[in-house]
Amino acid sequence: MHAWTWFLQRISAVILVIVLGLHIGFLHFSNGGESLNYTDIMARLKTPIFISLDILLLIFGLYHALYGLYSVFLDFDSGKKEKIVVFGFLVTMGLSFLGFGIFGLICTFC
Amino acid sequence: MSDPLYVKVFRFNPASDVAPKFDHFEVPVFNNMAILDVVMHIQNYMDRSLSFRFSCRIGMCGSCAMYVNGRARLACRTQVSALKTRNITIMPLPNFPIIRDLVVDMEPFFQKWKEIKPYYLPKKEIDEPVVIRPDSKEREFIDDMLDCISCGCCYSACSMVATNKEYLGPAALNRAYTLIADKRDAIRVERLKVVDRSYGVWRCHTQFNCAEVCPKNIVPTRSIQNLKRRCVLKKFGIFK
Repeated sequence: MHAWTWFLQRISAVILVIVLGLHIGFLHFSNGGESLNYTDIMARLKTPIFISLDILLLIFGLYHALYGLYSVFLDFDSGKKEKIVVFGFLVTMGLSFLGFGIFGLICTFC
Repeated sequence: MSDPLYVKVFRFNPASDVAPKFDHFEVPVFNNMAILDVVMHIQNYMDRSLSFRFSCRIGMCGSCAMYVNGRARLACRTQVSALKTRNITIMPLPNFPIIRDLVVDMEPFFQKWKEIKPYYLPKKEIDEPVVIRPDSKEREFIDDMLDCISCGCCYSACSMVATNKEYLGPAALNRAYTLIADKRDAIRVERLKVVDRSYGVWRCHTQFNCAEVCPKNIVPTRSIQNLKRRCVLKKFGIFK
């Protein structure tokens, strides 16, 4: 399990750099120097490409952050029971945030 | 005559002392003086009960490792002048049980060393001697990592060892890598299984504390990262 999760942590890090780069690029450099306004931003956020980008950011951001948190927890040398509880809690939290995030993105902008 | 050294030495005898203490000594300085000379001077002329371990005096045996001014070092290879201070604090290596004063019990360290089976087992089908190309990148890397003298400096500096006594530690993992990377070895996969566990390679957080203190300039973190990659390759069925 460790090999897979460690590998995914590396993959998610690379994807985050790319997706965050695109996200920041879209937000700050695709505006042609004009001042931002609400209507333009909402129109942009509704595009499938931007929604897909944000969903990717959500998935990989959550995985990267929560697995990082779990790695820190493992350093405390806890018992097997505590590990299962924390793992379950983090998975539940991750899936809930993912659900909320995707629901928010799709319902608000579609 | 130059100013003496003000040396603070950790003292503890678990058999008779309730708690550790520090003794203070003023030690005269001479040219090219090493930390080993300092503790030998204390033992010869000031306090014969001071305990410490040493053997070769030339940085080969790894037995004189101590915690000098906040850092694990070989006492025989650490010049007093390199510390750039007259105040010296000498303590036993952290992360080891103390036997007495500056002498630590290396048993936990070598127990982990044994776990990875630190000896080469040749494949049956290989006829010795094997030709190894001098320009082999793999061999160059292995050769660099073979300089380890098992002094325990890396083990004492590792914060992961400090928080978890089961963690194999940088020296054992580095040794494991030198054997796993050697294609002539017969039990590479078995060895990889030993290190592919929570308290094996996966506890390393690449802090490089081990590399920072290694008296042989080895970077065990590199070996550990290579081991992690091989564990992933094994999952994909690429490493055999």
